[in-house]
Amino acid sequence: MRIKSAMLVLLSVLLLACLCSRPAEAAPYDGYTYSYWGEAVRSPIAYLPSRAITGLEAGTGAWTAPGDLFVSPEGLLYVLDSGNGRIVVLDQEWTTVRVIAGFRNGGKDERFNNPEGLFVTKEGRIYVADTENRRLVELDSAGRFIREIGAPKADVIGDNFEYFPRKVIVDKAGRIYVVGRGVYEGLIEFDNDGQFTGFMGTNRVQFDPVDLFWKSVSTKEQREKMVQFIPLEFNNADADEDGFIYTTTVDKKTFSPVKRLNPSGIDVLRVNGETAPIGDLSLERSAFVDIDVVPSGVYRTLDATRGRIFTYNEDGNLLYVIGQLGSQLGTFKNPAAVESYGNAIYVLDRDLGRITEFKVTRFGSMVNEANQLYSSGKHNEAARLWQEVLKLDANYEMAYVGIGKSLLRQGEYKEAMKYLKLGNDREYYSKALGKYRREYMREHFSVYMTGIIVVLLGGAAAVRLVKRPRQKGVVRDAVS
Amino acid sequence: MPFLKDIKYSLHVAVHPFDGFWDLKYENKGKLRMAAGILFALTLTMIVKRQYVGYVVNYNHPLELNSINELKYIVFPFLLWCLANWSLTTLMDGEGKFKEIVITTGYALLPLILVNIPNILLSNMITLREASFYYLLDSLATLWFLWLLFIGTMTVHQYTVLKTITTMLLTLAVVGIIIFLGLLFFNLIQQIVSFVYTIYQELSLRG
Repeated sequence: MRIKSAMLVLLSVLLLACLCSRPAEAAPYDGYTYSYWGEAVRSPIAYLPSRAITGLEAGTGAWTAPGDLFVSPEGLLYVLDSGNGRIVVLDQEWTTVRVIAGFRNGGKDERFNNPEGLFVTKEGRIYVADTENRRLVELDSAGRFIREIGAPKADVIGDNFEYFPRKVIVDKAGRIYVVGRGVYEGLIEFDNDGQFTGFMGTNRVQFDPVDLFWKSVSTKEQREKMVQFIPLEFNNADADEDGFIYTTTVDKKTFSPVKRLNPSGIDVLRVNGETAPIGDLSLERSAFVDIDVVPSGVYRTLDATRGRIFTYNEDGNLLYVIGQLGSQLGTFKNPAAVESYGNAIYVLDRDLGRITEFKVTRFGSMVNEANQLYSSGKHNEAARLWQEVLKLDANYEMAYVGIGKSLLRQGEYKEAMKYLKLGNDREYYSKALGKYRREYMREHFSVYMTGIIVVLLGGAAAVRLVKRPRQKGVVRDAVS
Repeated sequence: MPFLKDIKYSLHVAVHPFDGFWDLKYENKGKLRMAAGILFALTLTMIVKRQYVGYVVNYNHPLELNSINELKYIVFPFLLWCLANWSLTTLMDGEGKFKEIVITTGYALLPLILVNIPNILLSNMITLREASFYYLLDSLATLWFLWLLFIGTMTVHQYTVLKTITTMLLTLAVVGIIIFLGLLFFNLIQQIVSFVYTIYQELSLRG
């Protein structure tokens, strides 16, 4: 009888345990990072989907194929509703503030024709890449027309140059950079007055040694029919607060899909880890369609292959991965743009015409904060947070490196070696080892020196002992 | 103590290869068990090396280390080399017997052990900047081994320098052929086995 009731209690407890939803199930995707060895390891989830909004819910009518999203410094969300040729502005409570459907240009009512890119400056000026109209349109914050910038005109540009601006960004100095469709020369740069000044940051030509071989042995006619080696076009860009421009390339073969261009157009992206920021390390590679730069050098890339958002720090280390393709809240069908504001990430889905908001979790905010302290050189404060991160995720290698570096500065060389080894940072491990070795030798010099002298003396004595009888033997032989 | 004597002789071979290999062949000083011992010791050394070489130069994934692998990387190539060398030199009128080839190759492996053990100790004390010393010693060991193998092959088969070099290169080619035939053989056997098994299954399911 007692066994029976015990069984019943056990069963009911088990049933209850099954019914209780575990928090991990709340996320429609797995959290993971890549280890030093390139293996995906489970990691806590850094951002969780909190809410989503479609055009219908915003009261503006459905958004058709929205192409771009921008969050202004005040937290206003600008949605570029490409299919309907308008801009919808939402505030943080997701109520519609304004809809810009058209504008008056010199006494004429004009509309956008399938615009693909949108940028809002700090002053609230709205730049729209009005793709099919082949122009850039600048509006003020109320949606009044200011100016339009047409196709670039210069001697270097041929007559058959097809100008379809896709994305636009404006840097602090007011220079305008445009990503053009099928433009391999780089970003199209306009100055403050809308004058074309040149191309910037051309991608290098990528070629296959195998292709090159076949090209070198084929005839001229064959060669003309082959695929030409042309540099890759950029597909998106973002500017950071220091005036550097981040670009993405959608090509799945390249190992540098992300570039950080300095004002003269040279890639200065820092890659400290084992792999460059290329997203997933699987055979089917990620295809980045958007990049979002967050203050303190962190950037997020949006992958269209699997609908994931990869967040990297300024050293190119992967911090966390969120999102996935799917049909639940927090998953996407065809993600087009990513933006972040405060502790939220916004992802725009082109096919669903929907914005999904992700809110940071405890783990995510700890990583963000630790990384920020770490990158600003406050290693000791960062180390304390990294310890907390490790409590949630013992696989988080960056945390080990962070703690290791902090210990190294404090002179705890041996402990530092332990942590740096766990974080697989050979360079700093080696630094710690060098310092530890010197310290160790300074302390134990007398012991080792005595040891060496004793061994040497002992060896010499042993050799003499062994040799003496032999010499006698030699002498005896000589005598006899 | 004969064992100590063997060790002393193998060390002698390592530093005086011309003299040593001559004695090995014509004075019967080489011992098969010593060659096997060196091979075994080398396997052990390599296992220890993969696990315990200093972190600065150790790029092995700890989860992928497996001591059985050393059979693949050391014992198997050793046997393949001896077999290939023997098959080739019998056709190219070499004077070495199979046993002599095994002993020679075994004795030639000794420098790898001699250099590796201190190198493992050293690697635990060096920083990244000094890692080149480790790699230098590592490649010196390999060169020393190749040198001994070269002299050994030359002495055992009584070849000229040029013929020794060609023989060694051809041996590598033969190793390739043996591996190819082996894979082919196993593949065919596998197919036969699966064929027989399918028939068995068919019959047992119908019966």
